[in-house]
Amino acid sequence: MGGLRRRDWWIAFFFVLPVVVILLSISIFPMIYSFYLSLCKWDIGMGGQRVFIGVGNYLRLFSDARFVNSLKNTGRVLLFGVGTQFLLGLSLALLLNRSFRGRSLIVTLFLLPMMISPVVVGCIWRIIYHYQYGPLNYLLNRFGFRSVNWLGNGSVSPYSIILADIWEWTPFMVITLLAGLQAIPDDLYEAARVDGANRWQVFSGVVFPLLRPVVIVAVLIRVMDAFKIFDLVALLTMGGPGQASESIAFYNYLTGFKYFSMGYASAMSYFQLAVIVAIANVFLRSWRRREVV
Amino acid sequence: MRQRDGVTVMIFVGVFVLLAIALAPFVWNVLTSFKDKGEYFTYPPVFIPSSFDLEHYIQGLRLGGAKGIKDSFIIASFTTLLAIVFGSLAAYSLSRFRIGGENFAFWILSVRMMPPIASVLPLFLFFRFLRWLDTYQALILTYSLVNLPFAVWMMKGFFDELPVELEEAALIDGCGRLGAFLRVALPLVAPGLVATALFCFMFSWNEFLFALILGRSRVIPVTVNIAGLIGGHEILWAEISAVSIVASVPIIVMAIILQRYLVRGLTLGAVKG
Repeated sequence: MGGLRRRDWWIAFFFVLPVVVILLSISIFPMIYSFYLSLCKWDIGMGGQRVFIGVGNYLRLFSDARFVNSLKNTGRVLLFGVGTQFLLGLSLALLLNRSFRGRSLIVTLFLLPMMISPVVVGCIWRIIYHYQYGPLNYLLNRFGFRSVNWLGNGSVSPYSIILADIWEWTPFMVITLLAGLQAIPDDLYEAARVDGANRWQVFSGVVFPLLRPVVIVAVLIRVMDAFKIFDLVALLTMGGPGQASESIAFYNYLTGFKYFSMGYASAMSYFQLAVIVAIANVFLRSWRRREVV
Repeated sequence: MRQRDGVTVMIFVGVFVLLAIALAPFVWNVLTSFKDKGEYFTYPPVFIPSSFDLEHYIQGLRLGGAKGIKDSFIIASFTTLLAIVFGSLAAYSLSRFRIGGENFAFWILSVRMMPPIASVLPLFLFFRFLRWLDTYQALILTYSLVNLPFAVWMMKGFFDELPVELEEAALIDGCGRLGAFLRVALPLVAPGLVATALFCFMFSWNEFLFALILGRSRVIPVTVNIAGLIGGHEILWAEISAVSIVASVPIIVMAIILQRYLVRGLTLGAVKG
């Protein structure tokens, strides 16, 4: 629209002003304060004084076995959870990428798990996983397997959380990848077929390269979300048994709001912020390079 | 053609099996909401409850469910309104005047990606200082942390798609900038505005972490209420299921209305769908 005239500049300025003021006051200033806190020791539960200790909290992070464990659990969600969601989501998207009657109804039904609150997802799976009375163990028994202590066994419970997460978020991959697939023009498939390519060659040579930008966006968004996993941990296991299934966000929550170690909790949250900033940068860079789809 | 038919049948069977797996947990939840205590604490599990009355729904709503839904509704409505009004103003400015350049726009988006646990910690101390813990305004404001950047980006996308010539014509006709925005641009992006509003509402309605930390005894959104019932000494599964269903129905309706914009909203506008 050319250069801004002076009067327009004022309008442009006043239009963005409220957003900038709100975001500054509830994100930037509090974040600066919490960065300062992350350099202090401050246990508000005991009425303790705030003492400046420099990078002590950050050093403590990596000698804290409980933190390392929560890091591992979160890593598992990324690797097994998001990994499965992608593979399952891609297969389903490929299956649904054809026209048949009732298709839009079926797609909608597939999306339901993702739309409802994670708290409700947690509820539903808490009932399903119940050791004595849950339908899942009943099914296992019927097929001759022994009951699994889904939520009460420390070597199983992290994976029970992942399974519920897969159920909840596979639809996200399905719908995003399906949108990507539908943006690929039909004549490209036909051209490849005419050239004598088989199904696999069409997929690996034509479909996947064109789908790649959407794949990157979908996986990165899921990775960012999965890194913050909290609700399912809180609803299904409360991090238990013991501390076996704690995620970073959940351990961070306990540190801040159960043990009231504000300094250490701030350092922990800054660690997560750094990781998210790194992932978000990759995401934004791939977005800016080409407008996706 | 024969072999192709076989493949097609297999595909359909596969899709339906997966669909059954996706929906079975919902079915179980609905069935549980009608069961009496003796029917959910039993082995082998009872599949079909003996009666389909609304007893547990009424009981669940009495146990804080109704209050939770009211609180969630108030918070979600106000935060949506805030996000929509300020978000579309900023989006228009970004789209038409490119104020602050691309980096400024991406800074706004990056706020949306902050881990909630990282932002809630300083906000908790901030609201404690203001004596705003356990109030509606604390949650309304906190949710704008997510909803404002989201609304700005969604609306920016919709304004970008609108041809500028329409507004230019209005300007020539003597409409001011403000008039061109209110009377020409805004009505044309109305469907996008509604979609954005529904997304903001759904996010705020479903949110748990902020609600858990910033609410307490006076403000208890429905998600916190449900989680509280689970943490109780004696778990009333039928009541919990009932409340969770009541809380999910409006969200499912919105999701169906939104279908066309779903991909766009879920990927923050990165995939247009």
